[in-house]
Formats: sequence, structure tokens, C-alpha cells
Amino acid sequence: MALLEVTDLQVSFGTASGRIFALNGVSFSLERGEVLALLGESGSGKSVTASAIMDLVPNPPGAIDRGSIRFDGAELLQLPPNERRDLCGSRIALIFQDALAALNPVYPVGWQIAEMYRIHGRNPEGGVDKAVIDLLTAIGIPDPERRARQYPHEFSGGMRQRIMIAMAVALEPDVIIADEPTTALDVTIQAQVVDLLATIRKRSDAGMIFITHDLGVVAELADRVAVMYAGRIVETANVFELFEDARHPYSVGLLASQPRLDTDEDELVPIPGSAPNPVALPSGCAFRTRCPRAEGLCAEVIPPLETVGPGREAACHFPVSPA
Amino acid sequence: MNQPLLKVENLSRHFGSGATPVRAVDDVSFEIARGETLGLVGESGCGKTSLVRTLLKLGPATSGSAVLDGVEITKASGRELHELRRKMQVVFQDPYQSLNPRMRVDRLICEPWALHPGAVPKARWREETVRLLESVGLRAEHADRYPSEFSGGQRQRLGIARALTLNPTLLVCDEPVSALDVSVQAQVVNLLARLRRERNLAMLFVAHDLAVVRHVSDRVMVMYLGKIIETGPKQSIFSAPAHPYTQALMSAVPTPDPRLRGRRKRIVLEGDLPSPANPPSGCRFRTRCWKATSICAEQVPTLMARTPTPGLLTACHHAESEVISSQTPWNGSSS
Repeated sequence: MALLEVTDLQVSFGTASGRIFALNGVSFSLERGEVLALLGESGSGKSVTASAIMDLVPNPPGAIDRGSIRFDGAELLQLPPNERRDLCGSRIALIFQDALAALNPVYPVGWQIAEMYRIHGRNPEGGVDKAVIDLLTAIGIPDPERRARQYPHEFSGGMRQRIMIAMAVALEPDVIIADEPTTALDVTIQAQVVDLLATIRKRSDAGMIFITHDLGVVAELADRVAVMYAGRIVETANVFELFEDARHPYSVGLLASQPRLDTDEDELVPIPGSAPNPVALPSGCAFRTRCPRAEGLCAEVIPPLETVGPGREAACHFPVSPA
Repeated sequence: MNQPLLKVENLSRHFGSGATPVRAVDDVSFEIARGETLGLVGESGCGKTSLVRTLLKLGPATSGSAVLDGVEITKASGRELHELRRKMQVVFQDPYQSLNPRMRVDRLICEPWALHPGAVPKARWREETVRLLESVGLRAEHADRYPSEFSGGQRQRLGIARALTLNPTLLVCDEPVSALDVSVQAQVVNLLARLRRERNLAMLFVAHDLAVVRHVSDRVMVMYLGKIIETGPKQSIFSAPAHPYTQALMSAVPTPDPRLRGRRKRIVLEGDLPSPANPPSGCRFRTRCWKATSICAEQVPTLMARTPTPGLLTACHHAESEVISSQTPWNGSSS
């Protein structure tokens, strides 16, 4: 049994211009010790997926219309609110993208990390203060005793992100969801944070969902990748297969459109057009208006996510042939 | 070689006065030739944007000079500055903020012509607007729409069209693709490359994405804490960087190739950028540098040729080229 299993999840939001379907039947599973990357561009539904798992979809205007999220055998969508809340933070933890917005500006960071223990009624060995200092040491904050008493604005962006990570791993969760944790950071700082996450995954057997649009970070960290487009998963594959032999035309386009640091390209190969308006998605396959392989069928039938090889799936009527 | 289009000498831009002004740009010199693209890279707070703003005269220089086509930018005012603005135009980072939401596209495009009478006679505005829109990959009917009706990539095309209205010789692009989705970035990068060829545009291309900079630039300049620490032709700087910071910066960029995971040499820098109000003595990078010795605290390293790499200038006492081979992971021992 998978550690976390999301099945046919649909999430929608009411807006002035009609109901927007942010997720249109998303299914995936996460195993213990595995890093699954959710790769996609803005509006593809990556962050909404994280919000749905963490019970953070604002209602109204948002609503989980159907689907199931099973964690360690329990159906999260049917748990009573207090039990659900207990799980979040302790057994499923979220690392937010914007650490400055996620941290409370008027409390010292040590106090905020300690809050994890207080709220969940935990008494770590050696006391909460020691646990906080140990965490700050583990994430590489120098002079942790003094730093624990400082406020978020006294830290750099990279350190704040590491403090977010410390809070997320404090209670040794089974699932860590990292929502674009490196996007707002400079490359040298991003490298520090990616290294820290890699260390954490080595030390624990937690499953990690890593949400990003950065193919480079995916290549560094992920075991398996789910590519999202317009509220659906369009391809899943292990990370090596995806980069060498992608099957969905969107994945192929995404890989081809990126310049690389270690080679010279004559001209980049962009994906034409732009992401569709979620209020008026194209009929059939949402990618068809930008797809070089689209045919009549694509406008009529939504392609289901189907097995295209051992452990891999693609949602395309005309997938790219194996390399 | 002919006169450079832009010649910057000892340019500084400090903020605040008193004992510790923030030295955002400190004694910077470089040139851009006609038709050349110079990439400017560095992390947040290194002074990229302050340098750009000073060059565009959106803020005063503290000292030094910048000459565009024979005209001193830092001292220009009135009519002279007005003329200068025709020659240098800018593409901003955020196409959601840089276009007035209340102006229709045709007015947005024509506004520079209204401000610079004589550039294009009014009778030809419509025709020229359509021509410009088409040259950036938009269509004639887009002229009658408002910015909110466009996607991010299309808005950035509008921003580029607007920057080209007065036929500038220098186009300053300040992070032109970093607000765009990956699949759309490549469209805009290709557009800039084509326009540059067609119009023999010189570009100052500012970005933090090194792969994009490598793709578009002829030469590249790396800034750290207000100083240029290394500069040279693209091939030299990307294949054999000699400054430890440049090496660290390049090694930190994740390569989109999972086969190279753990096989690449990674230099992970310790700590964060020091405050530009109180930079370290001598070399500003020394507090994070694994090669630093006592000389680095005492003497500011000058930007000069320190390695045999053609055209590469490095500001480091311990400059040593690090050859980054083209990676061939299947050959076994390559990393």
C-alpha cells in the first residue's frame, strides 16, 4: 500500500467569470522514502494539489468536488476536522514557497519552531529548547542559541527558507510537501537549500512531494516525476526516463525549450502559444491547441492517463514513440 | 575596432551619505560595441539593477562616466537627455506592471512617437504600429485591445515592441524573461535574438538565469557586491571561469540531466552576501571564498587578464582557470 494515494481529485473555485476547475481528476501515489516531483507551469494545479492534501483549500470559493486522498490507510477527506488538523504538521508537513510570508514577523524564530512541539503536545527528549537548537544546528544556522531569539526579518532569504524546512521536519513527518521551496532564491542559495533537502531525504524515510517548474532542480532531487498541465497529470515516469525519453508532447516541448549551461544551442525550440485560460479550456485534450501532434480526435476525447511502459503513464492519444 | 557604442568608466552609484553609504555600484568600467550583446549576471543585491538605472539615467551617478554614442549620459539634461532616450530603450522584467492597463495597445505603442515628434509622422502611426506588432509576433487586430487581454508572454512582446518604437541603438533588457513560464521564455528569447540580428541592436541583457544569458550573449560580465569580478567572451567565461565566485555560481546551477546527479563538481558557498554598506576590505568576495589569504583582505584585486584564456579579465589574486569540460557522463570517469 502506498504511503499517500491521491485518486481522481477534482478541485474547483468560484470566480466572477464562472467556476474554474483547478484540478480535473488528479491521481498519483507516493511511497515511503521516495521523492516525487510535481512539475508544471503557473496555473497547472501543482500548488492546489498541495493545498488539498494539507486541507488548505479556502472554502468558499474553493471546494473539493470529488476524489480521495488516502494517507497511511486513512481517507483524509472523511476525517473529522480536529483529527485532520492533528495530522497536518505532525505527519504531513508543508514547506511554503515564500518563507517571509509564512513566518510570523512578531515572534522569534525559535519560538515559532517550538510552537510545532507545543501545538502537537510533544515533549522531545532533552526539552523543547534543546530540540530547537539542535534543529537550527542541523540546518546550518551558525550561533543557534543567539539566532533562535531573533526575528524573521533578521535572517537572509536562504536562512528563512531553511527555518521553514526546520519547522516542517521538526516532528519527523511521514510526508514532506515542498512547494517551490527554491524558486525565490538566488542560485548559490538555492544550491544550499537543495543540498539540505537531499540530506533530509537521506536521513529519514519520509516521502517527499517536490513542487517546482525548474527542470534542473527536478533532475537533482526527484526519483519520479508527474508532469502537470491545466489541472491534470499528463505524464508520470521515473526521472531518468522522463529526461531521456518523454512520451507526452508537452513534456517533450518543455525539455526542448530550455537553454542549457553546458551546451550551445543555435535556436531554442519553444512551445507555441501560451497556457489556456482555465475558464475556457479547449475541448478534449487541453494541450491540443499548442501541440504539434494534435489531430481531430484530440478535440473530441480527453485522453486518459494510460500505462505506456513499466511504471510510467501518459495522457495522450498520439504519444511520442519510445526513443 | 571602431568606437564602442557605450563606454562606461569608473561609474559608481552610492545610496545615502555619511560614513557608510550603500555602494550599490562601485567603480565599474566596461564597453558595449555596436550590435553586441553583453550579458550581466549576479545575484540579488549585487548591483545589476542599480547599474541599469544609472545607465538609463533613471537615477544619478555618484561619480564616473558613461558615454553613449559620444554623449555623456551622467551629465545629460534637457534636450540632450530627451535625444538620448531615443537611442536607449528598456524592456522591463514584469510585463504585468510595465504596461499601463488603461491604455489601448495602439496608444501604448504610439506614445513614444507623440513624445518625440519627427520620429514617425502621425499619418503613418497606424501603419507603423501594425508593422511593429507583426515584427514581435502579434497581429494587427491586437492594436485595439487592452493589456489585460494578453497573456504574460504576449505582454512581454508588447513591452519589446514599445521599446523598439524609436529604433534605439541600445536595448537594455532587465530580466526580460524571468517572470514568464518556461515554455514561453524560449519564445521571447528567440524573438530578442531575431530582432537583434535584423536591427543590429546592441543589448545589455541582465538576468540571473545563467543558461539564458549563455544563449543570448556575446560577452558576459559577472557582478558581486557592486563590483565587476569577471568578464570575457561567452566561450571563455563559461568554459574556463577563473574567479572563484564565477566558478561557484556556475556549479550551483542545477543541470537538467539526472544522469549527472552527484557526478558534477559542486561548489556550495557558505553564508550570504555581506552588506553593501559595509563591504569586506580588499576583495569583497573573500569572506565566502575558499581560496582567500591575507593579501585578499589587504588589496582590492583589479580586473585584468590573469589567465591564458582569451579575453578573460578576472578580479582575483588567486585566479586560476577551471576548465569545465563538456560533460560526457557515459564515459565513466569524466566528472
